[in-house]
Amino acid sequence: MHIPENFLSPATCAVMAVAAVPVLAVAVKKVKDELPREKLPMLGIGAAFSFLMMMFNLPLPGGTTGHAVGGVLIAVLLGPYSACLSVSTALIIQALLFGDGGILSLGANIFNIAFVMPFAGYAVYKLIRDRVKSDKGEFVGAAIGSWFGLNAAALVTAIEFGIQPAIAHDAAGLALYCPYPLSASIPAMMLPHMLVAGVVEALFTVFIFAYIRKASPGDIYAGATKRTPALYILLAVLILAVPLGLLAAGTAWGEWGAEEIAGVVSNGSALGYVPAGMESGFSFETVMPDYTIAALPEVPGYILSALFGVAISVIVFRLIGGLAKNKQKA
Amino acid sequence: MFVLENVSYSYEENVALQGVTVTIERGESVCLLGPNGCGKSTFLRLLCGVIAPDGGTYAFDGWSVTRKSLADNKAAKAFHQRVGFVFQNSDTQLFCADVYEEVAFGPRQMGLGEDEVERRVTDCLRLLGLQDFARRSPYHLSGGEKRKTAIAAMLAMNPDALVLDEPMNGLDPKTERWLAGFLLELHSAGKTLITSTHDLELAQEISRRSILFDGNHTIAADLPTNLLMRDMSLLRRVNLVDRYYHQHRDGGHTHFHTHPLQRESPEISGDISDSEED
Amino acid sequence: MPEWLLQSENYAPRADKDTFLSKSILALLGLISKIRAQDTAAAPTRYAVNPFFKLVFTLTLAVLVSLTREFAFLFAALTYVLLYLCVQPIRTLRRVLATGAAVTAFTFVILLPTALGGNGYSLTMMPVKVFTAVTAVNLLSHTSRWSELLSALKRFRAPDMLVFVLDITIRYIVMLGETTLESLYALKLRSVGRNTRKYNALSGVAGSLFLRSRQMAEDTHSAMLCRGFTGEYRVYQKFSFTLGDAGYILVNAGLILLYIYITRDANAGIG
Repeated sequence: MHIPENFLSPATCAVMAVAAVPVLAVAVKKVKDELPREKLPMLGIGAAFSFLMMMFNLPLPGGTTGHAVGGVLIAVLLGPYSACLSVSTALIIQALLFGDGGILSLGANIFNIAFVMPFAGYAVYKLIRDRVKSDKGEFVGAAIGSWFGLNAAALVTAIEFGIQPAIAHDAAGLALYCPYPLSASIPAMMLPHMLVAGVVEALFTVFIFAYIRKASPGDIYAGATKRTPALYILLAVLILAVPLGLLAAGTAWGEWGAEEIAGVVSNGSALGYVPAGMESGFSFETVMPDYTIAALPEVPGYILSALFGVAISVIVFRLIGGLAKNKQKA
Repeated sequence: MFVLENVSYSYEENVALQGVTVTIERGESVCLLGPNGCGKSTFLRLLCGVIAPDGGTYAFDGWSVTRKSLADNKAAKAFHQRVGFVFQNSDTQLFCADVYEEVAFGPRQMGLGEDEVERRVTDCLRLLGLQDFARRSPYHLSGGEKRKTAIAAMLAMNPDALVLDEPMNGLDPKTERWLAGFLLELHSAGKTLITSTHDLELAQEISRRSILFDGNHTIAADLPTNLLMRDMSLLRRVNLVDRYYHQHRDGGHTHFHTHPLQRESPEISGDISDSEED
Repeated sequence: MPEWLLQSENYAPRADKDTFLSKSILALLGLISKIRAQDTAAAPTRYAVNPFFKLVFTLTLAVLVSLTREFAFLFAALTYVLLYLCVQPIRTLRRVLATGAAVTAFTFVILLPTALGGNGYSLTMMPVKVFTAVTAVNLLSHTSRWSELLSALKRFRAPDMLVFVLDITIRYIVMLGETTLESLYALKLRSVGRNTRKYNALSGVAGSLFLRSRQMAEDTHSAMLCRGFTGEYRVYQKFSFTLGDAGYILVNAGLILLYIYITRDANAGIG
């Protein structure tokens, strides 16, 4: 779900960062209203919890594992605004400290995972909880809400990926960042998320919710008294958007393979995407030499290559040296 | 039963155990003593297969415990069933919805019938006096009740060896007395008992044999407990006792205690100003 | 003592798939040791580069790498990052390289289909871009302490509240991570057979983690009140300029100039 560096164009990153700022500002204001200022530690705790949630490897059929994101669970437990700040904090730390998710794409990641996911999921949870008065309402709400929240975030992510070829390409029409158009990115993201990741998310969320509800029901967020219309507008948009994703996924392909999007292999071009580069006879073999020599004068080019070689050899020798040392120790 | 030879272990660059050679026989009761951070907990974790030795060898009933052997699903599970472990922090050890489920977790995994599971759980709850807590959430229990739940959960698997990391930590005196008695009972029922503690009196009470760890992560002494207790200079050197620690022997009864620091004693007030400088 | 407790158990376990447990344990171990290593990163010396400059130039590098279409510049940036990497302590080197390699391989796999379509540009440029950017960021995080990074953020006029929350979060991640690790060990030790309710067990670990977290937040709050916390959080720091800073700025300024030069050159070529 985390968008790595260089999959989105810098322009998209900038737009998403600008979009994330008001989201965070509103969340900070809301949290200040709902949560007394000196209760700030709770945000850190929420962030740490959110961070650690993603460390849990959950069993999947066939002995493989996947992991949950927990955005909706935290929204249900702490309220969506606190969840937004907590998950954002976790994302910042992941990007800055662990190189997990890009620094430039941090805005987009915050928007998708810390905003869309908890708010969309929480809205569904609240909708169901308020309609179905029994205990079941809460559990069903948490299950559907977390499934929905994750998929809403996946859809927004897929759209961000999918618009890249259209907005960032060179004169020849060659995609400069994520090369997959919407027709490829949406099914590639949505199928695994709807069928597998969403189910894992829902199961984990409901089980944890049930555990906490039994052990310490007072610890679950009661909900703000006022309704937020903006939230419902977002929700409406997303409810319309998810079936679209389903439609796009109509041609059955893509699978929960090695890594989420690897499934595209079989259909990369079958879905109507014929990169312009192909028509102009662009071939893989010629790219590398072209780009190495293209713009650099010869002498600096040589120096640079030499430095590159030095760096690589030092790294290789040190790695080998390290291995030998380890063996001696054992 | 447990045979360790020249075992070492370190966390990244920090050495936690060094050149440890110990053999513990079936049916023994052994106490581990030592100052904070000497490697007692690491030693216990190693015995239970939470971690595997970095150097040296460890064999449990002839089965060699290594990273590789612990990755062997069936064999490792059989080993874990035979060696029960109670962590120092009972809080982290409890993860089920209520006390009954907590105790039933092990037996259910072992594939016992639900009747047998119920019998074991009921027995264990009765042994530890937790009958009234069966449907309570472990999260809301008191520290002592949590410790008892953790012990019950371990006992329900009927392990051969019980390993307890500072079982008396944070218990009130009455519960402590009760638990000491209960551990002795388990020992006389044939269980191998391995505990760690700072409490010399407890060590004397529940174990004939004591292993003393040194500050440098090695074993300083492995002696019958009563002999170790006489070696005051050694106990003092490893910071287990201060210099006011002593024992009385009147009429066959032995007990250890320290005396409260007294301001008027010039020697002690010197000590206090020392510590302030630190 | 009940009868069954007096007899030795005659038990042969059935195998069960519990790689999820070992994987979770490994993930947590890696996380904690990473933060520990980060926390004990070398203390600032005379040649240490101010984390503020590191943050500024790492961000700049990430932007330039993302913007560039010229392999020549990318190659220069990659060389710079590798040179920086090759003088790091072996543990840092290994970790940073492992992360970079994993992300790059992932990118490569995702982009493979584009090669079938003839888009060689993505397949060559993107993995190199990803590797360069990820490695640059990881180098930043591995060569600076978390507290230094925070004070650098502070210099960017990040709100005090954000800096405070980031700060306590790291500490909580370690504390809570350790207790979670403990819980997972306990779960592993007690998983002596076939567990038909794996989600129940893991959710219990996570749920009790949440409850403990809440408790801890309340305790921290009380402790802060007791120590006179008023809700304001200030970051105090000194600012100094070292020889290391000068060298660092020089090299990075060179890279920026190279970017401008190459881009202009390429554009002129096209025009």
